[in-house]
Amino acid sequence: MEFPTDANVIVGLDAIDDAGVYKINDVLAIVQTVDFFTPIVDDPYWFGQIAAANALSDIYAMGGIPKTAMNLVAFPADKMDISILRQIIKGGIDKMREAQVVLLGGHSIEDNELKYGLSVTGFIHPDKIIRKNNLMLGDKLILTKPLGTGIINTAIKAGIASPGITETVTRLMATLNQKSAQIMLKYPVHACTDITGFGLLGHIAEMLAGSVLGIKIDSHKLPIIPGTDEYAQMGLIPAGAYKNRKYRETMVDISSTVDRASQDILFDPQTSGGLLICIGAVSAGALVNDLKNDEIDCSTIIGEVVSEPKGKIVVV
Amino acid sequence: MKELDARGLACPAPVLQIKATLEQEDLNSVMVIVDNDAARQNVIRFLESQGFKASTTLRGNDYVVIGACDTDKMPESTPGQKAKTDLEKIMVMVTTDRMGFGDDELGKKLLLSFVKTLKEMGPDLWRLVFVNNGVKLTIEGNEVLTVLKEYEAAGLHILVCGTCLNHFNLLEQKQVGETTNMLDIVTSMQLADKVISI
Repeated sequence: MEFPTDANVIVGLDAIDDAGVYKINDVLAIVQTVDFFTPIVDDPYWFGQIAAANALSDIYAMGGIPKTAMNLVAFPADKMDISILRQIIKGGIDKMREAQVVLLGGHSIEDNELKYGLSVTGFIHPDKIIRKNNLMLGDKLILTKPLGTGIINTAIKAGIASPGITETVTRLMATLNQKSAQIMLKYPVHACTDITGFGLLGHIAEMLAGSVLGIKIDSHKLPIIPGTDEYAQMGLIPAGAYKNRKYRETMVDISSTVDRASQDILFDPQTSGGLLICIGAVSAGALVNDLKNDEIDCSTIIGEVVSEPKGKIVVV
Repeated sequence: MKELDARGLACPAPVLQIKATLEQEDLNSVMVIVDNDAARQNVIRFLESQGFKASTTLRGNDYVVIGACDTDKMPESTPGQKAKTDLEKIMVMVTTDRMGFGDDELGKKLLLSFVKTLKEMGPDLWRLVFVNNGVKLTIEGNEVLTVLKEYEAAGLHILVCGTCLNHFNLLEQKQVGETTNMLDIVTSMQLADKVISI
């Protein structure tokens, strides 16, 4: 299918990235993205917060700064009290305020199934766009948020997760990638993406698409939300994790020394996950320390870009 | 054999159904029928985590998973044997390299003895965390290293504060345990049934 386009499209549908980028002039481009979903948590305010953080993340992943947003709402007005929608929107607005993003409007429709999210526009310098596939041999991969939201949300649905863990994972999902992005922009980063529904390995596979390089991940270095391992062993794994694995099976080579729970976590679909930053080895240590010092305590180097096997992810 | 029909149930309901059944009945084997692959894989994982050996056969479009008690894996079950979910989660946090005040030499000996005696807590000992001066017990040359490595091999999660190791320039000398951060420590405190701080 052919899409309408013109010479000012810098990042469009022919080379899909986390967001689209359109040039305004030599020093300014707009970054555009949209994201919405069904409730992730029971509390409407926190659902609004998480949905907003999730939508803004793609702008940060491109190295852009989000500025304006519009609400996208689907609401079963005949089944649900309108006060629930007010709480959701308040959650979204509070998160936008935190990100210094202005709300310009929105659209809502009547729907059997509740959904909320944002369409977001941000700004970036045309020469400073951080693509997801500019990997260079020897680069280190840094992950800024711990993994496990899919598995833990399944445990929450099962009524097994403690209130403590429920609160931890809710706050993690609602945390903006803003601070990580601000720190990242001070360094000569080569590539970046954010980790969401395809799981860590699914998104890494996107970074590798068509590449002559490979990626090696150390499963022992992965930052993981406490509790995830135990719930994974109990089989509280969302169906999406199995889909993610099946989709990327041929691209991924996991050592038999990696235990099954860790393998499940590698494909666990994340909600509003962290940034996966790809940077030269020389600067990686300094960037990780900078990320750690700013209270984003989980940032870790989890892997590196290698020459063989080409186009594959090896996990040890 | 006990048969459970988990067809048409959305995840995580199949696992919950088996869990509830096993909590009420003492079964040596169980058959679970599911209608999708994700449920099949989750059911297998759950059964194996409970000490069963799981195998699958197809029945039309459905999967039949049979769990049989794995006598190789199950510990000799005695009436008093605690199920995994019944274990008390005890977190012990060691914040320095000695126990008590007054005499440091005595204090160091007491702490070493304490760490060696921790094994008496059995499977209830769930996390052993080292912070501040406590991290020095995990570095090469320390007397309790052998004991800590035995605990780790037996499945105890030993967490060693990364900030502290960095502060003392001991990151490379850590010989046991995983390097951890404050989020892990605080969450472990929340999850634990009991937190003992030395």
